[in-house]
Amino acid sequence: MSEPALFLLLLGGPVLGAVLAAAIPGAPRTTRALVALLAAGSLAGALGLAARVVAGGVPTWGPEGLFRVDALSAVLAVCVAFVGALAMGLGPGGGHAAPGEGRRFRALASLFAATMLIAVTTGNVAVMWVAIEATTITSALLVPLHVSRASVEASWKYILIGSVGIALAFVGTVLAYFDFATVAGPQESALRWTVLMDAAPALHPAAMQLSFVFILVGYGTKAGLAPMHTWLPDAHAEAPAALSAMMSGVLLAVALYAIVRWKAVVALAVDGPVPDGLLMGLGVISLGVAALSLTGQRHYKRLLAYSSIEHTGLMCLGLALGPLGVFASMLHLVNHTAAKSMMFLLSGRILGRYRTADIREVSGLLRTMPVTGGLFAAGALALVGLPPGGLFLSKLALLRAGFATGHGWLMALVLALLAVAFVAVVAQLNRMLYGAARTDLPAGETERWALVPLAVCVLVLLVLGLVLPDPLEILLQDIVTMVER
Amino acid sequence: MNDAFAQLAMLGSSLVLITSFLLLWRRGTPAHVSALAIQSIALGATAGLVGYFADKHELYLVAVLLIALKGVGIPVLLHRMARRLGPARHVPPYVNTATSLLAGALLVLLAYVVMRPLVEASPLPTRAGMPLAMGVVFVSLFVIVSRRHALAQVIGFLMLENGIALLAVLGTYGIPLIVEIGVFLDAMMGFLVMQIVVYHIHQTFQSLDVEQLNRLRR
Repeated sequence: MSEPALFLLLLGGPVLGAVLAAAIPGAPRTTRALVALLAAGSLAGALGLAARVVAGGVPTWGPEGLFRVDALSAVLAVCVAFVGALAMGLGPGGGHAAPGEGRRFRALASLFAATMLIAVTTGNVAVMWVAIEATTITSALLVPLHVSRASVEASWKYILIGSVGIALAFVGTVLAYFDFATVAGPQESALRWTVLMDAAPALHPAAMQLSFVFILVGYGTKAGLAPMHTWLPDAHAEAPAALSAMMSGVLLAVALYAIVRWKAVVALAVDGPVPDGLLMGLGVISLGVAALSLTGQRHYKRLLAYSSIEHTGLMCLGLALGPLGVFASMLHLVNHTAAKSMMFLLSGRILGRYRTADIREVSGLLRTMPVTGGLFAAGALALVGLPPGGLFLSKLALLRAGFATGHGWLMALVLALLAVAFVAVVAQLNRMLYGAARTDLPAGETERWALVPLAVCVLVLLVLGLVLPDPLEILLQDIVTMVER
Repeated sequence: MNDAFAQLAMLGSSLVLITSFLLLWRRGTPAHVSALAIQSIALGATAGLVGYFADKHELYLVAVLLIALKGVGIPVLLHRMARRLGPARHVPPYVNTATSLLAGALLVLLAYVVMRPLVEASPLPTRAGMPLAMGVVFVSLFVIVSRRHALAQVIGFLMLENGIALLAVLGTYGIPLIVEIGVFLDAMMGFLVMQIVVYHIHQTFQSLDVEQLNRLRR
C-alpha cells in the first residue's frame, strides 16, 4: 500500500466513521459495524505506517510535510488507533441503552480519535496545538452523555481547566515562535518540528526556558500532572467507560507526546538543569498526590483515574533521566495504554451489572462475573507493577535510569510512593474480587464476545513483560536518539 | 514614523489591558460582556494598526475577524444568554474588589519581570507592549480562578485568548494566517461547547454559581 493510502486509512477512517454515525439515524447495527470496521482500518493504517518507520522510512504526506510520521509519532498513532478501535467495537459501556446515546457517542468519539491521530502525526507545531485543543472540545461534550449533576460538574471542570491549560500551551508556542522569528526572521516553516529542531541551538536560552514553562504547565494540565490534575478524576469517573478508556489510555499520552516533542527542542536550546528539573518536580508531585489519593479510595473509576496520574507522573519523571529514562518512559506509555484502556472498559462492564461505582458495594466479583473479574485482577496487578506484566519491566528500567544518573534519593522516594500505591490498589482489589457474591444480581457473563478484545490487552501486557519485540525496540531507540540529540 | 507606530501600539495594548481590569472592578454579566466587546475591538484595532505600519496585510483579515467575532458576535450571544438565564442573584467573587485590583497590579508587575529577556531580545518597535499582553494573560487567569459565576469564568477565558492574540501580534506581527484561522475556529467551537455546558449547569443546578459544583470531592 502506498503511503498516502495509509495516511487516508489512518485519518480518514475515524472521520468517515463520525460522519456515518452522525448521518444515519436508523439501522444502528449496520452503522455500528461500519464504524468499528473503519476504526479497525485506522489501526491497520497506523500499523502500516509504523512498519515503514521500522524499515527506516519517514512517511510524509500533504503540502510542506503537513503530516510526518517518525518513530515517536508511529508509536503514539498505533496506541491511539488501538484504543479507538476497542472503544468503537465495544460501544460506550456502563449499560447505557438509549440508542441516541450510542449514536452520539460513536460520532463524537470517532472525531475525538481523529483529532488525537492528527495531533500525533502532524509535522506542524501549530496544527498539533489546534488538534489537541479540538480533543477537549470533542470529548467534553461526551462526558455528560447522561446528564446528571455529577457529570455536568465534571464536564465544566474539564472544559474550563482543559481549555485554560491548552491556552497556556499556546502562549508557550507563541513565545517559541517569537524567539525563532527574532533569530531567523519570520517564516512559516518555523512551525515545523524539523526546522525548529535544526534552529534550536541558536535560540535564546532565556526565552526558550520561559516558553517551556508555559508549554509544560499547559500540556501538563491536559496530561493530568499534579497540581493541574484536579479535573481528571472527575472527568474520568463520570464519563462513559469507553470514553474514559480513550481519555486515560491515550489522551494523556498525546499530551505527554507534545511535552516530549518540545522537550527535545528546548534541550537543544537551553544548556542547564531547568527543563529536566521541572519535569522531575512535576513527575514526583504527581506520583505523591496520586499515591495519597489512592489510599482509601472508595470509587473504582476514581481509583483508576488516580492511577493514571501516578503513571503519567512516572513517564514525566522518566523524560528527565537521560536516554535510558526516555526509553523506559516511552515503553511505560505503551504498557499503560494497553492496561488502562482495558481496565476502564472492564469498569464499564462492572458498572453495568452492579449499578454502582462504590467499591464497598462490589463484592464477590470473581463469582458474579468470573472472566471480567479475572481480567480486572490481571490488569490491576499489571498496573501496580507485578511481573510478568509489561509495566514491571518499564518501571524497573525507569528506576535503573534514575540510579544511573545519580538520583538515588529521589528514586528511594519514588519507590516508597510506588509501594504506597501498590498497597492501596491491591487492598481495594481484594475487596472487589472476594467476599460474598451479591445475591440480588444474576451471575455469569453477558456479551461474551466483548471479552475477546479485552483479553488481547492482557496478552499484549504479557508479551511486553516477557520480551521486547524487535520492531518496538527499534522504534523506542529511534525516539531516544531524537529526544537526546 | 516608527515612533508613532511604537506609541500607537503601546496605546492599543494599554487599552486591552485596562479593559481586562474592568472585569475585576465592575459587577454583573452585562458589564463584563461590554468589557470583552471593548477589549476585542481595541485588540482588532491594534492588529490592524500593526498590519498597516509593518506592511502585513493578512493582519487586516485577523483584525476584521476579531472585531466581528469577539467584538460583536460572541458579546451578542453572551447578552442573549444572560437574558435567557434571567437576572441571577448576585454571586460574589471569592476575592473582593480591592484585593482583586491589587492582585491585578502585582500580576502586571510580574508580567514585566517575566518578559524582560524577551523584550530585550526583540528588534521590533512594538516590543514595549509585550509585557502588557502577558499582563492580560495573567489577569485573565486570576479572573478565572477568583470568580464564582460561570459566565464570568467564560469571559475570563475569552480575555485570556485575547491576551495571547495580542502577544502574537506584538511579538511576531502575527503568527501565520492559516494557523490564526485554525485557532479562531477552535476558539469559536470551544466557546459554543462552553455555552452548552453552561446551559446544562443552569438546568441541573438552577444557578450559575460554580461554588455549588462541589459534589465531586475525592
